[in-house]
Amino acid sequence: MTDLGVATPTVAGAGDKPAAATGKSLSVVALRKTYGPMVAVEDASMEIAAGEFVTFLGSSGSGKTTTLMMIAGFVEPDSGTITVGGRDVTRLDPQKRNLGFVFQQYLLFPHMTVAENIAFPLQLRGVPKDEIRRRVFETLDLVGLSGFGNRKPRQLSGGQQQRVALCRALVYRPPVILMDEPLGALDKKLRDQLQTEIKKIQRELGLTVIYVTHDQEEALVLSDRIAVMRDGRIDQFGTPRELFERPRTPFVADFLGAANFLSGRVEHHTDEHTLVRLDTGGLLRARQHALAKGAPVSVAVQPGRLDVCAPADAFCSGTVQSVTYVGTLVRVVVNVGANCSIRLEVSARNAPQVGERVGITADPDNINLFAAESAG
Amino acid sequence: MSVSTPALPAARIRAALASRRTRYGLLTALPVVIYLLVLFVYPILGTLALSLKDEQGGFTLHWYADTLTGINLSVLLTTLRISAETALASLVLGFLLAYAVSRMRPLFAALAMVLVVAPHFVSALVRTYGWIILLGDYGVLNEAMQAVHLPGAPYQLLYNEIGVVIGTTYVMLPYTVLLLYGVMRGVDRRLLAAAASMGAGRLVIFRRIYLPLVAPGLASAGLLSFILSLGYYVTPRLMGGPNQTMIASLIEQQVTKDYRWNGAAAQGVVLLLITFAGLLLLKVVGSLGASAKQRSNS
Ligand SMILES: Nc1ncnc2c1ncn2[C@@H]1O[C@H](COP(=O)(O)OP(=O)(O)OP(=O)(O)O)[C@@H](O)[C@H]1O
Ligand SMILES: [Mg+2]
Repeated sequence: MTDLGVATPTVAGAGDKPAAATGKSLSVVALRKTYGPMVAVEDASMEIAAGEFVTFLGSSGSGKTTTLMMIAGFVEPDSGTITVGGRDVTRLDPQKRNLGFVFQQYLLFPHMTVAENIAFPLQLRGVPKDEIRRRVFETLDLVGLSGFGNRKPRQLSGGQQQRVALCRALVYRPPVILMDEPLGALDKKLRDQLQTEIKKIQRELGLTVIYVTHDQEEALVLSDRIAVMRDGRIDQFGTPRELFERPRTPFVADFLGAANFLSGRVEHHTDEHTLVRLDTGGLLRARQHALAKGAPVSVAVQPGRLDVCAPADAFCSGTVQSVTYVGTLVRVVVNVGANCSIRLEVSARNAPQVGERVGITADPDNINLFAAESAG
Repeated sequence: MSVSTPALPAARIRAALASRRTRYGLLTALPVVIYLLVLFVYPILGTLALSLKDEQGGFTLHWYADTLTGINLSVLLTTLRISAETALASLVLGFLLAYAVSRMRPLFAALAMVLVVAPHFVSALVRTYGWIILLGDYGVLNEAMQAVHLPGAPYQLLYNEIGVVIGTTYVMLPYTVLLLYGVMRGVDRRLLAAAASMGAGRLVIFRRIYLPLVAPGLASAGLLSFILSLGYYVTPRLMGGPNQTMIASLIEQQVTKDYRWNGAAAQGVVLLLITFAGLLLLKVVGSLGASAKQRSNS
């Protein structure tokens, strides 16, 4: 076992062989953290496989950083256990967990140059000088900062500092890397580029990465699985596809798919479908959901899963309020009743005219129903 | 900001004087300037003049030669040595104390600071006699050490260099503690956490991260206590022996006993020069510290 951080320089050596799976599995069971009366994280549980890329997605203050800090050992959980590679680390000091951490606030050492910052974890592992120099150079090059090695952190922009922080965590290839919004300060282009790099390194080395972001697109691009967090709880933990197509809560449907919400009641069940009488009058066919007849429901459907059709075939209809071209797609807003509008994304070839009366249809399989009580 | 192109210094000064703000500033500073001229600059110039005059009123460097030779030189060296020892001792103690206080919760930290600073509102004489009572052969400390049969007890803790350094360090402690406490509070603890996340142990974190971040504070605290110690008078007189005579006592002796004003003046000027050199160094270190602080805040 080479999982003992400081005392075992072999860890760095192991990272040298590319394609070797160096990642470790990680499991979190019933983690809880309170600050006074405030519950920051509640009942967080997840099993993460070695080499998996997991993202915590959630709005500000939802407990993403706190969960990450508990895994890293900087915040002590009130209860729950954390296991890395089968070893219980819940009460272990951070320096003994052999994880990498990219902090939301960068936290570069101000008295060291960029190169010294990146070399620091390698020196701790007793990597020879020549190799340190080579790896620092390589890593800086990777993030587009070659030639910045001799600068002090204060002489860098926020985005540059963030990239150095990323280098400092990647350079020693810890089996598990925790990243707290590591690309938050970067522009779109650089962010896309670094997402690709992070993903590439993670794949090649088989690293386990836990990544925090509140950008859903970023989460979808990078992740094997996503944990959607809300108010300190994990609403759903699954593949991007699962979250997108089978959201477990209205929050997930909204946060990932920017879903439209309509309300209605369950009319009856057929063999394959649940039929819902919408408040706007129409009858909607959804895939089978286990909901009682007559129960009030909230219907969630993503703009991209809707289409325009003749009003006669539609579950609801209305007048087109606006049409916006975004490349090959058009965004259409249809007014379907008093203060109620539906957003659609349809192929530009099917684009309706503003003011036109259209019907809206969807594949029943793409329609998610939630009991209305939980539609907070 | 009215002069944007690089101008000649004279032109720049004239431009600065023309600004209303500068003139107003000079006017308000006038009382202080006069005060300093009369009570500070004039006596110093007087002392300087005195130190360069022989008995007939002619120019001489004799008094400086005198200051830097023989017994006078050894007193000067003693002064430097005791000051350095004091600076070192108060730095080490101050560091430990300030570190402990900086790790306390704010309320306790405030209380601890009061405890450190409060004794210094008591007169220096009273404090020194307090130490004499504590440190004497039959003082509390030696009695206690004898009671537990510490080998070699009682120790000679008074009327030697140990006694002087204990006394002077005690006087310096609040300065170093206050200074270091400020610097330590300014250290971003999350940087230490960052180092820990990479696998650095406590000792490595202390040596490679913490110490460099507080180093500018350590340097200024050390220099400050060195400079302030140079002028000690009461403590070495009361707690030291004849070998701990410091330059301030020597000056006093020359003035009140030997009536050698010129010699005393030369010694005063030398002391002043050493102090100025120290202050200059302090300023350099201070500006280094300021830029370090700017860095850790960025
Ligand atoms: N040290 C602390 N003391 C008290 N409350 C805290 C502390 N740290 C976090 N919290 C609270 O815990 C909750 C979760 O915070 P956390 O930093 O985990 O959010 P986050 O999901 O990372 O948000 P962001 O996206 O803004 O970084 C917040 O409501 C926050 O106010
Ligand atoms: Mg956060």
